[in-house]
Amino acid sequence: MLTYIIRRILILIPMAFAICFLVYLGLELTPGDAVSHMINPDSAGSMDPAQLEALRQSLGLGQPFHVRFWAWFTNLMQGNFGYSMSGGVPIASIIATRLPATLELAAVALVFSTLVGSLLGVLSALKRGSKTDSALTVVGMLGVSIPEFFFGLVAIWVFALNLGWFPVGGRSMPGYVTFWDRLPHLVMPAMVLSIMLTAGVMRYARSSMLDALSRDFIKTARSKGLPEWRVNLLHGFRVALTPVVVLIGFRLPVLIGGSVIIEQVFQWPGIGNEFISAVRSQDYPVVMTIALLSVMAVLLASLIVDVLTAVIDPRVRLGD
Amino acid sequence: MTFKTLIAAGLAALLSTTAIAPVLAQPINENPLSDPRVRKAIAYALDMETIVETIFEGQAVRAVGMLPDGPNKPTDLIRYDYDPDKARALLAEAGWDSSRVLDVVYYYTDQATADLMAAMQAYLADVGISMNYRLVEGDVASQISVVPDDPVNGPSKVTWDMLYGARAALALQEYFNRYAYGLKPMIPNIPRMNELVAKVNGTTDPEVQREGYFEMEHIINENVYQIPLYYQQLYTYESDRLDRNGAPYGNEQYNYNWGVENWTIAPDASGKAVMYTNAGPSQFFEVPWQNLGIWVANKFAFDTILEADGALTPIGGEMAESYSVSEDGLTFTFTLKDGLTWHDGSPITADDVIWSIGAATKFPVTQPVLQATMKKIEGADAFIKGEAETLSGVSAEGNTITIKFARLDPNVLLSFSQFAPLPSKQFEGVDPVTLQQAAFWQKPIGSGPFKIDEVVMNDYTTLVPFEGYHKGTPKIEQIIARPSSDNDGNLLVNAQAGRADFGYTKAAGDVPGLEALAYMNVYPVDIPYTRMLWINQFPHPTR
Repeated sequence: MLTYIIRRILILIPMAFAICFLVYLGLELTPGDAVSHMINPDSAGSMDPAQLEALRQSLGLGQPFHVRFWAWFTNLMQGNFGYSMSGGVPIASIIATRLPATLELAAVALVFSTLVGSLLGVLSALKRGSKTDSALTVVGMLGVSIPEFFFGLVAIWVFALNLGWFPVGGRSMPGYVTFWDRLPHLVMPAMVLSIMLTAGVMRYARSSMLDALSRDFIKTARSKGLPEWRVNLLHGFRVALTPVVVLIGFRLPVLIGGSVIIEQVFQWPGIGNEFISAVRSQDYPVVMTIALLSVMAVLLASLIVDVLTAVIDPRVRLGD
Repeated sequence: MTFKTLIAAGLAALLSTTAIAPVLAQPINENPLSDPRVRKAIAYALDMETIVETIFEGQAVRAVGMLPDGPNKPTDLIRYDYDPDKARALLAEAGWDSSRVLDVVYYYTDQATADLMAAMQAYLADVGISMNYRLVEGDVASQISVVPDDPVNGPSKVTWDMLYGARAALALQEYFNRYAYGLKPMIPNIPRMNELVAKVNGTTDPEVQREGYFEMEHIINENVYQIPLYYQQLYTYESDRLDRNGAPYGNEQYNYNWGVENWTIAPDASGKAVMYTNAGPSQFFEVPWQNLGIWVANKFAFDTILEADGALTPIGGEMAESYSVSEDGLTFTFTLKDGLTWHDGSPITADDVIWSIGAATKFPVTQPVLQATMKKIEGADAFIKGEAETLSGVSAEGNTITIKFARLDPNVLLSFSQFAPLPSKQFEGVDPVTLQQAAFWQKPIGSGPFKIDEVVMNDYTTLVPFEGYHKGTPKIEQIIARPSSDNDGNLLVNAQAGRADFGYTKAAGDVPGLEALAYMNVYPVDIPYTRMLWINQFPHPTR
């Protein structure tokens, strides 16, 4: 098992490098650079090209692509994330201030969606064919199909503008100190973010539970005279939960990448919002660092899922 | 030079004079857009009155001439009112090839621009002109502003046929300065315009400038070198809670005497006088020399040397107690008020001002009018190139600073009404080229009526009154600025939630929503901001 894990980690390193290279290449192929973003097009013709070139050189943009990429990568290997080209802020500082906001939002949404989605999915499976099942199936389809921004706008209109229960956006206000002060700001974005996650978990849990309930060991348990709740929860649900856990594992990267749309709609100062700003301003170092963190989150989630799968199913590692 | 290009150059020169332009209406090269009849046809084909009323919901003013209405614009310009029959006749006369498809580009990403492009496509199709349109992205400057190696005959380096863009002017010369020799990406050299550009930039006499503006407007108007479409307006919005106590309205994109220290706002439930606004920083505060007044937090936090009124006419000193310009216009002297301090309590010195002038000269994205003034200071060239450590034309004696100019600049007073000095000690070791990357811009120390108190980057910024401000301590107790660009996508939501007491927008689409709020007042302000079409008259490689 240890060999399996080590080998997976060794595969992960070149994959991360390759993905980062591709992201850097993608940025390189995008027209313009960080300096061109600083110029108002209305007055572009009035700027002094020589002075703009001096700025490009100062920011290191005059170097060839491969030199810049290698410099970024070697700095990274030494633990130096570099500085934002737009504002000169250390990227470590940007991450340190934005990441907690995203983690807070995503963690609440993930926990909520896992609990509620699993319970509703199991309920739907147990009530298969009933009105409850049909209603939950429709709700699940709507949750998966309707875009997040729509739910966000509706939530703002209903709960913030009409009912006045929650603020329209932002993470905090002057004078807020504790998490509980900020809680009203967190409720709407976290709930909206969790709608799609909940719907997905619910649909997955339902089909997984139905699959588990059709297995022979369930019939055996019933034939042994076990109470129905015990058959369903201790035997059926436990088995059904395994693929759900895998699904949730694959959603862990949202903790890092953030939900770009939700952060935009709710003016949430997280990583997703920062990523959009950095892409717009072609701030290479910031984009690359956030992309790297997201890539690592995806790869680590994939590793965790693989390891869990190998632990659960010996055929996976024996197949190697 | 071939005989054909000689003829073309001669015609280009002749066409630049107003008297004969209508007579010699024919192309000057193989590009049919060099034919004034075709350009006029395009102007006649666009129903700008309807476009303004529909796409812009009446929140713009149809343009006649480059300059906004005022004393510097002639009143007898040809209006080119919508007349598709006349457009068709002109195209027929010019022998327009209807199989030709114009390549039209734009660089604004808002919906109104996309709608305008679609409308233009339909209007031009109606008279027999086909066009495609596309958004230019990335390094926009190199795609719209690069000039041909041969500014007389071309070919152009830009590859489009028409560009939809704007001219937002701090000084009126900005509307025309690109007509100077070798600066136009799309129009062959026009000798008379060269002379007129030099004329309006070479004098401080408003009468002489006006003569120049009149003649340039006529030349552009009669030859349709550009097609002005509409004058954009700026909308200041204020909630009922806010009282400006008689302070005037003005062009919020720049610095003017808005009397903010006297503004009051109704206290909130806790009894505190808090004003909500937007345009707070999301990553850093922008250097106040780049976009001057656009970022409202900068206007709260920084004072300028001189002061302008709402129409941006210099009216007196702000940080300066007194000032004067020599008779030849080449020496500008001002004396700082006694006792001025930065928000951290340290004194504002002549050294701060001198360092700031030098830094603004070197800072690559200083606003063009401001930078043009700085670059005319004696020794500026050597200073920028690094051949001199200081600007030789700037000196100080006590609190009096003297600036000597190598060349006359007509906008010295205007520029210094927009120029906010910075505390030099905060920038030790910082190269002015990368000034924006200094740590200072995470929480700047200013000189204005409000000081920056708390910055939660990308969430909110608070400002509080600067006790002892030289014009009087402001009355509003706290300003909370939400982060946004100058085009705030969350403006209406925040306004409906009572989180917008003051701000401004140029987005016409926001105005009806703001006006629908019972507690919101919206004031349109005429600003020098003309949206227009540039027409590429040069032959170019893609044709």
